[in-house]
Amino acid sequence: MKTEYKTTTMKMMNGNEAVARGAFEAGVKVASGFPGTPSTEVMDYTQQRYPDIYCEWSTNEKVGLEVAIGASFAGYRSFAVMKTVGLHVAADALGGAAGSQINGGLVLVVGDDVGRIAGDDYNDVRHYGNMFNIPVLEPADSQEAKDLMVKAFEISEEYTTPVILKITSVICKTTSGVAIDENQTYEAKCRVKYPVSFSKVIMTTMMMNAKGSEHPKLTKCFNDFPAHMKRLAADCNDFDINRLELNGKKIGVITAGTPYFYTKEVLPDASILKVGMVMPLPEKLIRELAAHVEKLYVIEDGHDIMEKNIKDLGIQVIGKELFPKFPEMTRFIPDVIEEKLVPDAPKRAILEGIPFRLPVSCAGCSHLFITQVLKKHKIKAAADVTCGLIGCFPHMEAYSLQKCMGSSIALAHGYNVATDHKENFVAMIGDGGFWATGINGLMNLIFNDSRSTTIIVDNSCLAMTGGQHIASSDFGFNYKPENKLEITKVCEAIGVKDIVTVDAYEYENLEKAILNAVNADTNSVVIVKKPCVTKFKLPKETPYSIDQVLCTQCRKCINIGCLAIESKKGKDGKVEIVINEDLCVGCGLCSTACKFDAIKS
Amino acid sequence: MQDTGKNIIIAGVGGQGILLFSNLLSKYYMKLGYELKISDVIGLGQRGGGVESHFRYSTKPVLSPFIKAGDVDFLLSFEQTETLRYLHCMKEDGVIFSSTFELSTSSVNTRLEKDMPESKTELIKKSGKKTFIIDPEENKSPDFDISKMMNIVMLAFYAEFRGYSHDEMIQIVKDSVPEKFVAGNLKAYEKGISIARAQLAEK
Repeated sequence: MKTEYKTTTMKMMNGNEAVARGAFEAGVKVASGFPGTPSTEVMDYTQQRYPDIYCEWSTNEKVGLEVAIGASFAGYRSFAVMKTVGLHVAADALGGAAGSQINGGLVLVVGDDVGRIAGDDYNDVRHYGNMFNIPVLEPADSQEAKDLMVKAFEISEEYTTPVILKITSVICKTTSGVAIDENQTYEAKCRVKYPVSFSKVIMTTMMMNAKGSEHPKLTKCFNDFPAHMKRLAADCNDFDINRLELNGKKIGVITAGTPYFYTKEVLPDASILKVGMVMPLPEKLIRELAAHVEKLYVIEDGHDIMEKNIKDLGIQVIGKELFPKFPEMTRFIPDVIEEKLVPDAPKRAILEGIPFRLPVSCAGCSHLFITQVLKKHKIKAAADVTCGLIGCFPHMEAYSLQKCMGSSIALAHGYNVATDHKENFVAMIGDGGFWATGINGLMNLIFNDSRSTTIIVDNSCLAMTGGQHIASSDFGFNYKPENKLEITKVCEAIGVKDIVTVDAYEYENLEKAILNAVNADTNSVVIVKKPCVTKFKLPKETPYSIDQVLCTQCRKCINIGCLAIESKKGKDGKVEIVINEDLCVGCGLCSTACKFDAIKS
Repeated sequence: MQDTGKNIIIAGVGGQGILLFSNLLSKYYMKLGYELKISDVIGLGQRGGGVESHFRYSTKPVLSPFIKAGDVDFLLSFEQTETLRYLHCMKEDGVIFSSTFELSTSSVNTRLEKDMPESKTELIKKSGKKTFIIDPEENKSPDFDISKMMNIVMLAFYAEFRGYSHDEMIQIVKDSVPEKFVAGNLKAYEKGISIARAQLAEK
């Protein structure tokens, strides 16, 4: 007999780390996905801590999810990680997997930015649970993040469905204790139950046309997904991840995720139904709580999804009428519950007039050089989802159009065909956005015989999410120099007529290259090269400084939008424009903007 | 354990080592056997955005990852505009530790809004709470870069104020920071102790 050494220890982990640990314990074989705050580090921790798990950052979320689906069909447990905004990209793949036969457990780990802490608008991944009729689990702390990750794979296999693990910016960035067995070893779990796995299109065709047929060629294509979900909805009343805590009779609260802890802290006497699975809901437990209390509330992060689903059951609950949703309320915090449900709660207001911080580019960022050229020559342009989108904010005013990841090339093309190419509306895109989906925009404009100028900012990584590798990086989980994709070669192969590569810091060349491209009568790509200053910690040059005698405070330099240039009140109360020498990297862009020779190295 | 737990907010701007600070502090409280929950809220933007860390330790399991306004025992802030954002969160007897360092905001820089007319340091002092102000300019030293190591100075100040073991804290610093930064960090720690002792003697 094998001797078991079970040594449980408490480890401090944030939610992302705990999810990675859950993947290890569940015996995951393949992890794929696309970076996106707040859930990026799920992949980083998986790759760093658990070398047995194959990890990849895919070119985009849809590809990432498809990789995981393929691995799952091979019988191996697999997960794809992305943020909710990324799941919009991958939604078609999820729709294909929903309701289909599942061999190895298939889990989507999706980060919701509740509270716009990372800057997203308020998306809520649970909508996909409703739309595709698939289960959604939501942990309330790191321990649950690990446990629910394991549970998600069990549910996926038992009820033959993909499962979404919803994590939030609060879960991802909160560190708390997790009990783990240090001696646990890795074992890849494999289960092949179905010889085929088809999308619902094929299955519903079988369901409608071949009812009653017993021919195995027909039945193997058929998966009774409504029955699986019905069984799950009934069984989940007995899941220990759904917990009814009967207490006082005055107030009852149905809650999930971190709002459970806010509720516990503010309303210690309330009766609570804490659901670990928010979709489908445990109807029996909800009715039991409703019968026990005078007033029933729903306290949930994000949209009013549990609330609507509960109301659909014919149960009266109070939710968004009391707790307004985004943008009136940016995030659920204990204070909000106290204000609404605790009589005579003290009112506390933040001091008025504290200046706010709009996002600013790092000192020396190549994006600043590009926005400087665009602004100087009044070139109209679209930005993408990249660090460069900071150029859209009112303290920069460099771009007039910006939407989603990878969009700018197609946006500019649309603008140009509508305006008969009379003004060359330029697209700026990061290298990450280019590989993710932007490349489709470029192919599209070429074969549709359009012309546009595209500026591709090659900083060798996905800078905004912390510098993960992309197809054209010189590093990566599965990196080999011979497999690195070259942006130039791809643009050539697609058929771009005019391709120029410039170093961002050679300002005059950059200016010339952009102007030439914009004025040319053909389609063009300007590739602006400079590794991300923050990710690659580029060596600093001597910092610049402003000669206060020569400075006229025209603020041309400050309008560049560099973090190192500040407008400051001195000890004598007089305002000065100064360069913060701790932040300045000595790139010299500000000196090109100064007409009075006041900025020197 | 006489101390059953406290609520701490650590605030500043990106790049000031706030996450390292809360990491070091968490190791100290874990050694003492406390339960912890630490929530790092990092705002939009790359460098220079507001960062806040809600740090809670307790002899009982910690519930909410966020500290309710009015429940903060200690505010440790590395940037004084950020300090102002949490004054209303303090308990009656809460204590504020604030650097006079200021990173001007992009909205004021580009004149989208006016800066506050009053001195921010004075506003903090007038909050009615027990307040310790640390000026990095006055405490510059050739031995270490205070613009990068204010977190360690503050850690030492806090440890001295709470009467914690400096030896243990220093050991945690040594075990946690890269070898090449240890010497500078230890100088910063010593500086923190001496600033704290001088200010505590005054009060």
